[in-house]
Amino acid sequence: MNLRDWKLRLRALFSPHRVERELDDELSFHIERDAQQLIDQGMDPREARLTAQARFGSKTLAADECRDQRGTALVENTIRDVSYALRTSARSPLASFTIVATVGLGLGLVTVLFSVLNIFLFRIDIVPDIDEMFVVERPRDANDEWQRFTRSQFDAMARETSVFAGLFAEVSNIDTRVDGRMMAVTLVGGNAFQVMGVRPAMGRTLLPADDDRSAPQPVVVLSDRGWERRFGRDPDVLGRAIIVNGAPHEVVGVMPAGFRGLSVSAPDLWAPLSSLAEFRPIDPGRDDRVGIVGRLKPGMTAGVARAQLDAWESQSAGAAADQRTTRIVLVPRRGTVPQPIEALVVFSPLFFSFGLILMIGCANVANLLLARGMSRQREIGIRLSLGASRARIVRQLLTESLLLALAAAAVGYFVSRLAIEGTLAALLPSIPPDLGNINIAAPPADWHVAVFLIAGAVISTAFFGLMPALQATRIEPARTIRGELIKDARPGRARAVLIGLQVAASALLLICSAVFLRSAFASATVDPGIRTADTVVIEIVNEPKRAAMVAAVAADPTIAAMAAAWPDLLGRPRGALAQTPKAKATVAYKMVGPEYFGVLDIPIVRGRNFADHERAAAIVIVSETVARTLFPASDAIGQVMQLEADPNSPTRRDDEPPLPSRSFTVVGVARDVPGFRMADFREAGVYVPTSTDTPKTSLIARVKGDPGLARQHLLERLTIVDPNMGQIFTMRTMARMEIYFLQIAFWVTLVLGTLALALTVSGLFSVLSYLVEQRTKEIGVRIALGATSRNVTRLVLSQTARPVAFGLLAGAGLALALATLLIALPAAGAIAEVVKVTDPVAYLGSMLLIIAACLLAAAIPAGRAARLDPMRTLRQD
Amino acid sequence: MNFMMSTDDTMTRSTPDLLPGTLDLLILRTLQKDALHGWAISERIQQISGDVLQINQGSLYPALHRLEHQHWIEAEWAVSELGRRAKYYKLTAAGRRQLAIETRAWERMSQAIGRVIKLA
Repeated sequence: MNLRDWKLRLRALFSPHRVERELDDELSFHIERDAQQLIDQGMDPREARLTAQARFGSKTLAADECRDQRGTALVENTIRDVSYALRTSARSPLASFTIVATVGLGLGLVTVLFSVLNIFLFRIDIVPDIDEMFVVERPRDANDEWQRFTRSQFDAMARETSVFAGLFAEVSNIDTRVDGRMMAVTLVGGNAFQVMGVRPAMGRTLLPADDDRSAPQPVVVLSDRGWERRFGRDPDVLGRAIIVNGAPHEVVGVMPAGFRGLSVSAPDLWAPLSSLAEFRPIDPGRDDRVGIVGRLKPGMTAGVARAQLDAWESQSAGAAADQRTTRIVLVPRRGTVPQPIEALVVFSPLFFSFGLILMIGCANVANLLLARGMSRQREIGIRLSLGASRARIVRQLLTESLLLALAAAAVGYFVSRLAIEGTLAALLPSIPPDLGNINIAAPPADWHVAVFLIAGAVISTAFFGLMPALQATRIEPARTIRGELIKDARPGRARAVLIGLQVAASALLLICSAVFLRSAFASATVDPGIRTADTVVIEIVNEPKRAAMVAAVAADPTIAAMAAAWPDLLGRPRGALAQTPKAKATVAYKMVGPEYFGVLDIPIVRGRNFADHERAAAIVIVSETVARTLFPASDAIGQVMQLEADPNSPTRRDDEPPLPSRSFTVVGVARDVPGFRMADFREAGVYVPTSTDTPKTSLIARVKGDPGLARQHLLERLTIVDPNMGQIFTMRTMARMEIYFLQIAFWVTLVLGTLALALTVSGLFSVLSYLVEQRTKEIGVRIALGATSRNVTRLVLSQTARPVAFGLLAGAGLALALATLLIALPAAGAIAEVVKVTDPVAYLGSMLLIIAACLLAAAIPAGRAARLDPMRTLRQD
Repeated sequence: MNFMMSTDDTMTRSTPDLLPGTLDLLILRTLQKDALHGWAISERIQQISGDVLQINQGSLYPALHRLEHQHWIEAEWAVSELGRRAKYYKLTAAGRRQLAIETRAWERMSQAIGRVIKLA
């Protein structure tokens, strides 16, 4: 296809009259010229003209074939269809409005999800030649943890390999207190911005010279988000200082909006790796691990690069006598999630349940169009008998549907924005402040979202428009023109299937919502076995300041009591092997001060608590369960047990405080603590004494008054003592987390379920009303012949009973099947423990609710039918 | 209706079937020297072929429009021998190249067929 061709096509499209006239002139000229030749040969002019015309054949046909050569028939037909569709839609504004609103709502809801997913999957960062950027990783180990490289391994890789044009180290997303508020910081090597090849919006980026401990002034570069959050987009920000954990850092640049440093969401600021100590308290076991990001040399493929890195790795590993056979993995780094499949798996149930609303809406619209198809039978019959092909009419009807769906897509866009902003406004204040830096911004809509909406509109059209269009054109033209409606074309079956589907979807969603609600109630009444209302956990991570911190906490007026504990209440207790002469068991232990049991209200049921001077003694308190396991025959008090930290336990830590002994005497038995179920918290079975002086221990404290306020107060007081201090959590938040997710799940499914039910009920109502209207005459005859109003009511209700019953069973069956599937999944074991997925009360309750709603929807049309005046209906025609 | 169809059929059958694609070649070749209108093209083909090749008008004009869309020929309105405006077609540079290609292809084909007829 060339330019000239397009010019001719465009001319045909935009000045069709001129092109048509020229075509006619050309063909007429041929006939005239032919006639002239005959006249020249001596034929009578009239006869010559007729002969010439006969020789030429049908001018219309020739013209038609010439038009076909233009290749504009498709466009011309579409334009005609669109203008016809616009006229039809304008003629029935109410129906059009209903369709656009219903489909728009469904599309909008699905788009909400897609907008979120879009961020994870498709929003590629603005970095030049981003396809050359890769993360260098090792495969996950047995514990499913990424094996990260050490700083020196990174240095060696940068020095000794030659596959990268540039390579930088990073430690990403550290939550740090900056000027008193939590901000996300990513630390990068000084060459990172050069390797990425990005320019700042203001000032400069980090330079290699900044990444040096001897640099005169530590510097940071703000992201657009950080600039907004900390400085309110103040243009005069360069050269200002921010205080990071007590140390001033100079702002030297601001990165442009949209640049996220190759991650899904941008940190608030970037700092050179040399400042790591200020941003994260020293933690020797972990601190020299870095992520490695590199830009491959031009022309280097990931496969070749990996092979070379593998060769390098095995060489240097051999030199270091490290016999682990590790392989290098190169993962593209484009500012999207590295595991798109996992993201899709997480999102698929959500897409499914949101998609159900769209499906129910489409089913409503399909029902509406089926009814409209009936009333348009005559029009369609006439067009069929005038020679329009069925395909042509189906296409025209589909064009109508598609136009409405595209309008719905536009509505859907606004619905999605509204829903996102509304949800965030409702959700953000409900997130407890001690969960750290949770900063959710509304996902922006970009062209991916637009494409998604349009694709959604097309798919919806296929769903709600195709079947009615096929149904409406399945008629015999000759009879419809006479005004007879074809009985076979009455789409009762399709309608019943649609209602059944709708009821099934509503049932599924409402059952889910009821299950979540009941589980939330059940969880709210679960006693974790420890006092949570006024307990806070104060982490001490900066050991040199431990004594000062402990003293400050002890002296604070809001603290009623405090105890040392390792691990604290947020971490899982340490696994160990316990042994007595008669029994052997794997137990979990933690080291606690004597005050621990008082602060958390854990009663000592037998024996005694640790005494104040016994903080390093070889004694233990065991839980009731452990006492039963290890000493099944006798009283545990006074018995001796061997305890050895299990080196293979998943809760093993490199920097754990050592056990003071191997042999312990049991002095007391504490009540079992069931713990939380959602939050990853289990209480220990064996308690070993310790004191607040022991490194790594946290403080568990009981506060006076509201724990949230106390936490805020403690944060303010303690940052003065140690700007590098760790976090403070309230146990109230931990307890709330238990039902927080259940509540969110409940609200989401409740909103969806209510929408589903409302749409289903309104669809049922309109279908029944329509059917009663269609059968007015028949019902009139029945009443005249002696049918009672009860008979008539039953007649109408029986129309719906079967599809509704079918839908209910299908919905409940599907919910049950999904529940069984969920329980069978190993990963869902913990969820199934909290969420009672087969709760019969939830199932029955939601099904009864749906039956009641459907009865209500049927009652009005049924009542209208029962009250019909037979005389009037029979006189109607 | 049926009757009319059959007469129509016999009329078109009176000329030998053109091999597919040869109509394009004939049109391009006819336009090699001068610009001609549609009637003149069909007339010239008929004359030169000694009345053996009679172009069916029903396919001449669609072919002309197709060639125009392919930009092998271009059209121009000019006053004709009747003193009336007519659409004259002439070869474009691309058309000339196409003509050369198709001529070569045709010659190879007819030689091959000739050899088969003689020797097989």
